[in-house]
Amino acid sequence: MSVNVSKGTNMKFLYAGIAIALLISVLAPFLASPDPDGLESAAGNIMDEATLSEMETSAPFVESPMPDYAIEGQGKTGEILAIVAGTLLVLGISFGLGKLAKK
Amino acid sequence: MHIPDSFIPMGQAIIYWVIALPFIFLSLKWARKELDDMKVPILAALAAGIFAIQALNIPIGMGTSGHMVGAALVAIIFGSPMAGVLVLTLVLLVQGFVFGDGGITTMGANIVNMGVISGFVGYYTFAALKNKAGIKAAAFVGAWLGLFVSAIACAIEMYVAGTFPLEAGLVAMGLYHLIIGFVGEGLITAIVITAIEKARPDLLDSSVTSATGVEA
Repeated sequence: MSVNVSKGTNMKFLYAGIAIALLISVLAPFLASPDPDGLESAAGNIMDEATLSEMETSAPFVESPMPDYAIEGQGKTGEILAIVAGTLLVLGISFGLGKLAKK
Repeated sequence: MHIPDSFIPMGQAIIYWVIALPFIFLSLKWARKELDDMKVPILAALAAGIFAIQALNIPIGMGTSGHMVGAALVAIIFGSPMAGVLVLTLVLLVQGFVFGDGGITTMGANIVNMGVISGFVGYYTFAALKNKAGIKAAAFVGAWLGLFVSAIACAIEMYVAGTFPLEAGLVAMGLYHLIIGFVGEGLITAIVITAIEKARPDLLDSSVTSATGVEA
């Protein structure tokens, strides 16, 4: 890591990163494939239906506020808001933790 | 590859947490030692970007989709697999608690698979290949292999849990993630590493760019 680069330049990297992350967040509800992911798809193919549906309908250990990256009744707008909120939350937590951790 | 609560019995889920915790601890120790005002913005931008891109599932055919995991990318940029463990732990915490993506009891297993295994395999494969194959090819193969090995580990965990049969689980998880890993992990990782190397080589850990610094 070069010592000659100003802190301001890395803040530019942060802003560019935030811009890209927010762009993906807004587009994801429209572009993301609705097909099940690798693990879900494997489960659907090789588990017997009764066991799988029992597992899928069992209540999660903790209820989450925005299950499946959506806000109930808000459609695509809700999905965009949910993913944007998640992106900003991860950004805030990692920035805050980083600031706390560094000397 | 986010394992929900119901896929692993509680007793086993705790074991994966016990395996994950020392790595989480070491990743925090890494953060204390390595992070400075220069690196914190990079870490935060990568974490946000990885959360967002994990919401973007790419279709791979066979009625299946998949997304990037990102631990290998973070590990390569920072020159330590611990950076990948840290970022994936933060991303999985938000995904699990806020969005119900991946269970809470199974978060330990998800951290082991996506943070530890894909990060370590991805990073050390990259480190072993980069001088011979070049940064681009090494990043591609490392990230691809990291995702594939973590999917195999996931299939074995599903077998131990009694959720998947062994052989069918290995075949399905292996096949899907070979394809997901090619596009979603390998290509994206290689493109991002190449772009950063061109635009801002100073952002990459010196072990990435220098020919001598292959040490962990």
